[in-house]
Amino acid sequence: MRSFLIFFITIQFALAQEKVSGLIVDTKGKSVKSVLIQAPELGVSTTSNSNGEFELPINTKALLTFTADNYETYVTEASPGEVLSVVLQIDASVSENISTNQQLIILSDDELSEDDQASGNISGLLQSSQDVFSRTAAFEFSSSFFRVRGLDTDFGAVQMNGIPMNKFYNGRPQWSNWGGLNDMMRNQELSLGAQSSDYNFGGLIGSTNISTKASEYRVGSRITYSSSNRSYTNRAMFSYASGLSNKGWAYAFSVGNRWGESGFIDGTFYDAQSLLLSVEKVLEKQSLNLTIIAAPNRRGKSSPNTQEVYDLMGIKYNEYWGNQDGEQRNSRVRRLVEPIIMLNHELKLSSKTNLNTNLAYQFGELGNSRLDYPGGANPSPTYYQNLPSYHLAASDGPDYSSAYQSQENLLNNGQIDWNRIYDANLTSASSGLPAAYVFYEDRADDKQFTANASLKTFLTDEVSLVFNVTHQDLTSENFAEIQDLLGATSYLNRDSFDGYAFNLEDPDATAGVGDRFRYNYIFDVGQTEVYAKTQFNLNRFDGYVSTSLKKTNYQREGLYRHGAYAENSYGKGKKLSFNALSGKAGLTYKLSGKHLFDANIAWIQRAPHLRNTYANSRENHYIVGEQAGRELEVEEINSYDLSYILRAPNLSVRLTGYYTKLSNASEISFFFAEGIGGDTSSFVQEISQNIDKEYQGIEFGFEADVLPVLTLKGAASVGRHIYTNDPSVYLTSDDFGYLDFGTAKMKNLRIANGPQEAYSLGFEFRQNYWWFGFTTNFFRNTYVDASPINRTQNFFLDSDSLPFNDYDPELARELLQQEEFGEYFVSNLVLGKSWRITYGKYVGFFLSVNNIFDGVFRTGGFEQSRNANFRELRQDFASPKRQFGPKYWYGRGANYFLNLYVRF
Amino acid sequence: MNIVTKIIPFIALIFLVNSCQQEDIFEIPNSLGNEENAFLSTLMSTIDAGQKSLVSIDYVKDLTVSGEATEITSDIVIKGYVVSSDATGNFYKEFYIQDNPSSPSAAIRMLVDITDSYNMYNVGREVYVDLKGLYVGEYRTGDGVITVGELDSAQNRITNVRDEVMKAKILRAATTTEITPLNVTFSQINDSHVGIMVQIEDVNVTAYDVGSPYVDPYDSYDTRRTLEACDGFSKKTFLLETSAYADFNQDILPQGSGTIKAIVTKTYDGDNLVLMLNSTQDINLNGPPCELLQLSDFDTVLDEQFNDAVDGSNFDYPGWVNFSEVGSEYWTEQVYGGNGYAEFSGYRTGDDVNIGWLVTPAFDLSSATNAYVSFNLAQHHLDDEDNNTLEVFVSIDFDGTNVKTANWNKLNVNIPGEDTSWYAFQESGLIDVSSYSGNNLYVAFKYVGSGTNTFLDGGYYVDNVLFLKQ
Repeated sequence: MRSFLIFFITIQFALAQEKVSGLIVDTKGKSVKSVLIQAPELGVSTTSNSNGEFELPINTKALLTFTADNYETYVTEASPGEVLSVVLQIDASVSENISTNQQLIILSDDELSEDDQASGNISGLLQSSQDVFSRTAAFEFSSSFFRVRGLDTDFGAVQMNGIPMNKFYNGRPQWSNWGGLNDMMRNQELSLGAQSSDYNFGGLIGSTNISTKASEYRVGSRITYSSSNRSYTNRAMFSYASGLSNKGWAYAFSVGNRWGESGFIDGTFYDAQSLLLSVEKVLEKQSLNLTIIAAPNRRGKSSPNTQEVYDLMGIKYNEYWGNQDGEQRNSRVRRLVEPIIMLNHELKLSSKTNLNTNLAYQFGELGNSRLDYPGGANPSPTYYQNLPSYHLAASDGPDYSSAYQSQENLLNNGQIDWNRIYDANLTSASSGLPAAYVFYEDRADDKQFTANASLKTFLTDEVSLVFNVTHQDLTSENFAEIQDLLGATSYLNRDSFDGYAFNLEDPDATAGVGDRFRYNYIFDVGQTEVYAKTQFNLNRFDGYVSTSLKKTNYQREGLYRHGAYAENSYGKGKKLSFNALSGKAGLTYKLSGKHLFDANIAWIQRAPHLRNTYANSRENHYIVGEQAGRELEVEEINSYDLSYILRAPNLSVRLTGYYTKLSNASEISFFFAEGIGGDTSSFVQEISQNIDKEYQGIEFGFEADVLPVLTLKGAASVGRHIYTNDPSVYLTSDDFGYLDFGTAKMKNLRIANGPQEAYSLGFEFRQNYWWFGFTTNFFRNTYVDASPINRTQNFFLDSDSLPFNDYDPELARELLQQEEFGEYFVSNLVLGKSWRITYGKYVGFFLSVNNIFDGVFRTGGFEQSRNANFRELRQDFASPKRQFGPKYWYGRGANYFLNLYVRF
Repeated sequence: MNIVTKIIPFIALIFLVNSCQQEDIFEIPNSLGNEENAFLSTLMSTIDAGQKSLVSIDYVKDLTVSGEATEITSDIVIKGYVVSSDATGNFYKEFYIQDNPSSPSAAIRMLVDITDSYNMYNVGREVYVDLKGLYVGEYRTGDGVITVGELDSAQNRITNVRDEVMKAKILRAATTTEITPLNVTFSQINDSHVGIMVQIEDVNVTAYDVGSPYVDPYDSYDTRRTLEACDGFSKKTFLLETSAYADFNQDILPQGSGTIKAIVTKTYDGDNLVLMLNSTQDINLNGPPCELLQLSDFDTVLDEQFNDAVDGSNFDYPGWVNFSEVGSEYWTEQVYGGNGYAEFSGYRTGDDVNIGWLVTPAFDLSSATNAYVSFNLAQHHLDDEDNNTLEVFVSIDFDGTNVKTANWNKLNVNIPGEDTSWYAFQESGLIDVSSYSGNNLYVAFKYVGSGTNTFLDGGYYVDNVLFLKQ
């Protein structure tokens, strides 16, 4: 950690003088006074003045130590005449400040619910930032699913020891792969926004590199216990770092466990263990580090619900669980076991050139379980026919008696009825019939190999060059696997809905526990990237230019021959290849030490993520656009930003304006649609292509030390993130094959990406190792995810392709008005203290209470595409309660996180 | 390494503390069925205590008032065995229960508001229906399919029992019994068989329908295909109806002959009896074509077409016995349009009760290996088929005169009901009486009716009585 936080030890050769001088600053760039600077060998010492400046007479090359309260001691070698720029790191163990404690909370707290809306959670990416806006976004805005610059985390680049950790499937980093290892994930180097880092071309919302080098960890042990009602209820962690031994060895490890029967949402159990082991051998010019990370994780998921359900059941309601013999059993479990092994070699070719060579292998299983009901009724307690709205919308008028009964039933038995499920299976088994229900996992078993070499050299003192080659190979086996037959004897591997054999190669196969069924295929992915960056640091200007050339290959291999796609599902599909060329440039103009202007420009091409490449990879080889006769091409992104940065002793400010244009994107969604082509209903894939989006806005952050003990801070993000064209939409399905829907009227609709306006104002108070902070945040302009198909011609065309004779454009406009969720406040407080027991031993606690006023607010939601045409939507709106209204996520009510730690 | 030994306890602690979250593996719940069993044992104890009474399915069917949904207000319970299944989707939100797993005499339909009821009320399951508060009547008014359900007050008919009500009212016993289908011939199937699982032998699909799918793709609801079966000297036909929602709807109707096991139901309008399959496993048509009996192989012992009838006279054919058990009316000889036949009618007899027997001459089966009887029956002015009846019996100990002292066994014969056309003769089909070989067999037609109650004064015709042996 020491070595990297000293960003630039700008070595300047001045006239030969019998002294060393310099400037001492902290990691925020603020000068540090009263630092004791000693040259023990020479027996001289001095202290820094109020500007952080110092001079120390030395006549020979000597070791200098820099010591100050609250800072970690720093040691360096200096020669007479040298002018040093020293960055001191706050000693986290003595004065663990709010942000370091918050890091301990945030990372891997929410990331597991990635397949619902936490996908955009940027707290993990930005947690190590010292930038006030980014920190606010990470710690204050993230629980409202705010997205920096409106972008998904696939625009953030995460590396570990230089190895890219974003997944091919969706481009996002899988935070839970190293969840619970917070102590070991502190050594991060973050490049904000569109900047390229020394490790990676980067995205648009930041690029971070996590280092797990054993020698860089703070020496000692740390025990942490945490209690929370957010996702897990308990966490215990132990970590240890040996430091570098005389013989050049260092090792560090961490073990952790997180568990809980239920988080804030009912039935969301948590069960996660974590282990990291890092061993390093340091030689004179090189070092070799082996890291092993394993963080198996299981978690019960929670459901989005319609407003009708929230009104009845409250915001903690989760339809996915039910009681089984008095225990809560969640029917949707997300399970992740993807250990990582890394070998990182660092070679100092010369004093100016470093070569890093990295190898990584990651393998394991990602499983999302659910209930399949081939021979039973939909087990969902909130299945639309089980809700009062269904009876109120009865065709012959509201049926109040049944509505009341279904309401009572939901209130009293509104959970999964496991006994009924077992009974159904046992009953069927007794008649020799296959399973009515099974509990199964949708699996992605990945094996990913990465090799990476990175050369960094200083061409001159001012100009550096980074050259980086990365190759990644992924084999991802995707299939469904039965976890529990729930009392049944076998599962017939056939689509119960339309009768198609899932695998014509063995059409009458039955499956048991541990067997694959439904779908079975492999994604083969290869990607090679060449990345180069040159950077210069001059007196008035800093700048960089970077470029990346990326070749990505995808190939699907079907292991099943699907009954509906007998000729286009089995064996290897065609190999896809995407070439993406990207460039970035940035310039910082330093008007003075205080006033800086920074501009970045990025022109990016990227291959579509795997998930947006195949139309329905579970059943066939079709590529997005193939059935519509359109090519699938790389996405193109243009982005510009301009910042003003103020770094005054007691005030730091950043103001940024940004503009990003994303074009040629594709999206796929899956749902059960009624009203496709008049009045049929089918399970469909909705494919939107040529989507153009535009993101613009401003970011503002300030931090003012109004008193030595009091810091005032604030941040704001005001964005306008919209669709700028009408994408092409088509649907595919087993039932009807392919249907072109023309274009969807999406232009000028808002993108559903959390609050597009977010404001924060708060203060931090610190004295005598006490910290207290209070922040109030304000959010608005959160929009529902608009359904494209509802905005195509299908919406107003009858089965004869003529408009419904009762079509009313005015009413249609009202029905399709994109919902905005309304504005809300969330206030958070933090409180902490640490005590030193003896030298080097500390205990402390940290309490974070979020949403202290227990506000109820929607953080996101999506329009259900079930009712897909004008008549049906009109009827739905006309009902006393909407049956197919949007499904929402709500923010947590008042919630806490308490952290206790001992360091020794 | 000293540090390692120090920290091992912490590591152990960290991994030992968690035990409360969801397990990976679950066993079959212990509480399975507890609630339902409790409901059932409560019900059984109220029956034992006499607070509720177990009644027959026929009793409940008789409570039906035509065209209405009738609320059951008394504490009665029926027991039955499930015979239909919605596993394939051919039945939808309904199932039939019959009163016995074998040799059933009555069945009734249950309308429930759940899909996939097969995995709860599986075929052969013994169920108890606590009827108080439920309704009995028809779902499609006038179709004659007696159904238990809830009240659709808007249309005064039966609607589906809601899930929650169902759990409290339609209770399963632990036992599932093999259902032995009732062996019948097409010509024997009548209204009383609705809801009963029957089995017919020597069946094939008519040549016209062989190779077609069960459901015509252009039919939105259901399709009727024609089956035929060898029935003595000729083939009889019957309809097989399949729902468009059955998952075998596009399966192809097989060639070949064999047995079919199905539930007797009615068409949507109630006009025709049809068979419906639980699944295609119940149709087993892979044998050779059935063979019709050849008349030339048989001795015709009796072929009485009553061509010598004297219109309007009391029946006095030699060798026949015309016996009036109650009342003063006898069977009569009639001629209409040149056709002679025997009739018993209660119309204006003046008697409160008329019971009349018409007994055939003896059928000598002393050396017979195979023997059949057949006859044609018709009715007219029948208003109450349950109380104004014609029954067919056989006896081997009839002495030729004393009807009342003989032992009479009832034949399973399709008697024309209220819904059949007046005066239209229907064939009984060949009734196998080979089991009486070695005896003299008498066949008797017994009329019950009234000359004073106009609901019970319908008439029955008998014609074409045929005795064959080999």
